[in-house]
Amino acid sequence: MVTDSTTNASIPMAASNSKDFAKKKRVNRSAKLKQCKLDARREQWLSQVKNKGGFGDSSGHPPCSESQSSMENLEVKPRGEKEGGSIYHHYSDSDSASNSPTSHTSSVLGSSNVSGTIFTGSGGSSSSSGGSCSGSVTGEDEDDDGCLDDWEAVADALAVTNKKQEQDKHSFDNQSVVPSVSLPELKPEERVEGNVQKGPPNCRAWKPDDAFRPQTLPNLSKQLSFPMKSGRQYGCAWGCKNVVSVPTTCPICCEDLDYTDSRFLPCSCGFRLCLFCHKRILEDDGRCPGCRKQYDYEPIKGEATIDGGSLTFKLGRSCSMITRS
Amino acid sequence: MQASRARLFKEYKEVQREKTADPDIQLVCDDSNIFKWNALVKGPSETPYEGGIFQLAFSVPEQYPLQPPQVRFLTKIFHPNVHFKTGEICLDILKNAWSPAWTLQSVCRAIIALMAHPEPDSPLNCDSGNLLRSGDIRGFQSMARMYTKLAAMPKKS
Repeated sequence: MVTDSTTNASIPMAASNSKDFAKKKRVNRSAKLKQCKLDARREQWLSQVKNKGGFGDSSGHPPCSESQSSMENLEVKPRGEKEGGSIYHHYSDSDSASNSPTSHTSSVLGSSNVSGTIFTGSGGSSSSSGGSCSGSVTGEDEDDDGCLDDWEAVADALAVTNKKQEQDKHSFDNQSVVPSVSLPELKPEERVEGNVQKGPPNCRAWKPDDAFRPQTLPNLSKQLSFPMKSGRQYGCAWGCKNVVSVPTTCPICCEDLDYTDSRFLPCSCGFRLCLFCHKRILEDDGRCPGCRKQYDYEPIKGEATIDGGSLTFKLGRSCSMITRS
Repeated sequence: MQASRARLFKEYKEVQREKTADPDIQLVCDDSNIFKWNALVKGPSETPYEGGIFQLAFSVPEQYPLQPPQVRFLTKIFHPNVHFKTGEICLDILKNAWSPAWTLQSVCRAIIALMAHPEPDSPLNCDSGNLLRSGDIRGFQSMARMYTKLAAMPKKS
């Protein structure tokens, strides 16, 4: 409403101006025009205010930083007690086909290697990627060596043989309530990479959003919970990938966040930004835009700790991400 | 350079979109230069600045948003943290407490908050700061109100 009337008001002014000072003050004219416009707008606003007789509440607040509360969204859903029965039932059904636990462990480990090298970009040897992943994946790695905890993976393999059976089952398993929402929140890379390793996609039992995934499948509470415990930095990025609140553009430079950027979480406050801006900020003053705290690592420091051989994942990874970017 | 342009353009679109969202702030970008902005802010209520409309001039550096924009009052204002002659503003978020997550809009909001809550201990306008520091609230308020009437309110005609 304001713009329309102000432009109307300023047009005649502009006309008269140009008539009068057309040749002399060509340079000053535009500046004057702008001031005229602003003045007109201001006057108008003032008169409006006067008519209204008062102001609305004008409590100015500094902006709340755009930190997402993505951590809160990441809830670990405990496995319901009552599903136990149906779970066991399910596995006793398909016991005969459980011939591949070892191959499964390897595929899980392999996939975590792959996801590790995505971030590190280093060698690709299992030891180095293990080192880089250790922060967030240690628990899983250790346990997977001995016993098989990755029920998802097992179930995936079993279902290759059981698929038809499952589909039949699915029809009457509907009432049991495993929250299928939490499925995509499992480590997405691992699932995708596992898919690649196993070969053609139709060997894959279920995609994360597959409607035919049997709802009796237990959720891996372990995988769900480790981001909360240790791998706060990247674990959360995995976990939150599908949470709606992840921005699609960098709040600093407004460029789109690509695949790597969108899982890059440099600060515990949850403020996301793209790698370019992160690098520029590190070169500048190194404080997180969301919480104004110093980013708690620096590239040089990261290398030093790699040499020391302790607590490598945070620093080494961020370091390599920076060099790659 | 490119980043600052993209960012400012996004803020420009944001401002166009939410023109009615914050009734106390009007941000206007210069027609020819996206690094120059003007803003009109209303004086917050229950302060001596109530009823006035103050014009701010933004000069955005090319390193924006890593560097804060330079802001000054074009309208005269009697406030301990605003230089009476130049309009320069003493505000931490425009200096060392700047964060790239802030926008021009949020700077305006911070300035409105500063108008409502002056900091007499780091004064740019010593007269105003001394009035407040000596506890002469009434004196400060009447001075500020007078200047608001003189400079920021419509002339009676």
